[in-house]
Amino acid sequence: MPHPGGVAAEAHGLARRFDRNVALRPLSLSLPAGAVLLLVGPNGAGKTTLLRLLATSLRPTAGRAAVFGWDVVRNADAVRRVCVYVGTSHGMYEGLTAQENLAFAAAMGGKGDTARAALERVGLTGVGHHPVRTFSTGMKRRLALARAWLLEPRLLLLDDPFSALDADGMGLVDDLTAHVKSTGGSVILATHEWERGVRLADMVVGLAEGRQVATASAAEVTPPRLRALAGGRT
Amino acid sequence: MSAWQRAAALARKDLLLEWRGRETITAMAVLALLVVLLLGFVIGADPARAPAITWVALALAAMLGVTRPTQAEIEQQALETLLLYPGSREHIYWGKWAAILVQLTVLLGMLLVVQGVLFNVDLWPKLPALLGVGLLGIVGLATLGTLFAGLVIHVRGRELLMPLLLLPVALPVVLAAVRLMEVVMTGGPGGLVWFGVLAAFDMLFLLVAPVLYDVVMEEA
Repeated sequence: MPHPGGVAAEAHGLARRFDRNVALRPLSLSLPAGAVLLLVGPNGAGKTTLLRLLATSLRPTAGRAAVFGWDVVRNADAVRRVCVYVGTSHGMYEGLTAQENLAFAAAMGGKGDTARAALERVGLTGVGHHPVRTFSTGMKRRLALARAWLLEPRLLLLDDPFSALDADGMGLVDDLTAHVKSTGGSVILATHEWERGVRLADMVVGLAEGRQVATASAAEVTPPRLRALAGGRT
Repeated sequence: MSAWQRAAALARKDLLLEWRGRETITAMAVLALLVVLLLGFVIGADPARAPAITWVALALAAMLGVTRPTQAEIEQQALETLLLYPGSREHIYWGKWAAILVQLTVLLGMLLVVQGVLFNVDLWPKLPALLGVGLLGIVGLATLGTLFAGLVIHVRGRELLMPLLLLPVALPVVLAAVRLMEVVMTGGPGGLVWFGVLAAFDMLFLLVAPVLYDVVMEEA
């Protein structure tokens, strides 16, 4: 049985291959509840693969992972109830309005319809009734963040959350991270904006070519070390 | 939020998107109309042939349209998000199924009108029975179509594969629907037998398809 509370996410020898390509070599980590983990590494390091494995979007080819004690393979549905993944594609329907998209997300996520409040949080109230196809990339990104607000995750997985966002939009990522943390939840963010990301983080994991090259407390990681990790060097 | 409410939300979303675009229903209607006109001219507008022509048109149009609600998820890059909502994937199946069912029912209504006009069939006295038969057939087509749309979701050339998968398996449904519609229109014997065949296949597909869909989408 799972033990909610203590550990938000853990992985033991977690690995994933795509045919002959190894996307993630055996990785182990433990993220306490209420903590924020920053994943750094160059393109193809395995950051997105790790996030998608924890989100139950991919199945591991070796090892195991759990979210709040729920195994990501055997208890995938329980994991999906507490975990929200905001990927690089916004996952919104272009033919629906922003409000309709969020109302749909609320219905599918089993939440009350708080679409209007979520739109207000991300500064999209004025365009709530506009079709998403008329939105800029940054506005779609904001809408994806609104969906995450609305679904109230205990584990939030953010893949490249700062991309396409203006300064205010980036602040929304900070606010969302702080909000999840304040409710006892955890956040894992993978980003190339590592200078900004490390300010939010409690832990840093460096990945390079699918390998876990470093695991450290965010307070211990100096900017030169962080730059090296982001470039795939130890 | 129950699974049925999730299915209803998904069906509503799919129908809303279709209503705003009207791409699938238009293509299905045009194809069905062309098939009816072509077969009507080639083999003659004999009222006895109307049920067969109607169902051939409906089955071909279904093949064109049943993949669209699932395919649209990929085109909008929303499939991963959809699959990561909590709950069984069966509710996704029922949501897609309901949206397809509504579209095929609209198409059936149009085809019955065309049948009445082109084949000079007096539909009004038999309309409730014809709609009943139509719905039974459509349930079978939608049930199989939704499953196969999920099955071919990541297959290249799925548009080519879909008829090869759907037609042979849907054959008993189409055949029984044609025969039952003939019986309704002519008042001939054998209605109960064909009703039994159609209902049995519908039940079988309704029981098996959602379970298989759950497995298929878990691997998607």
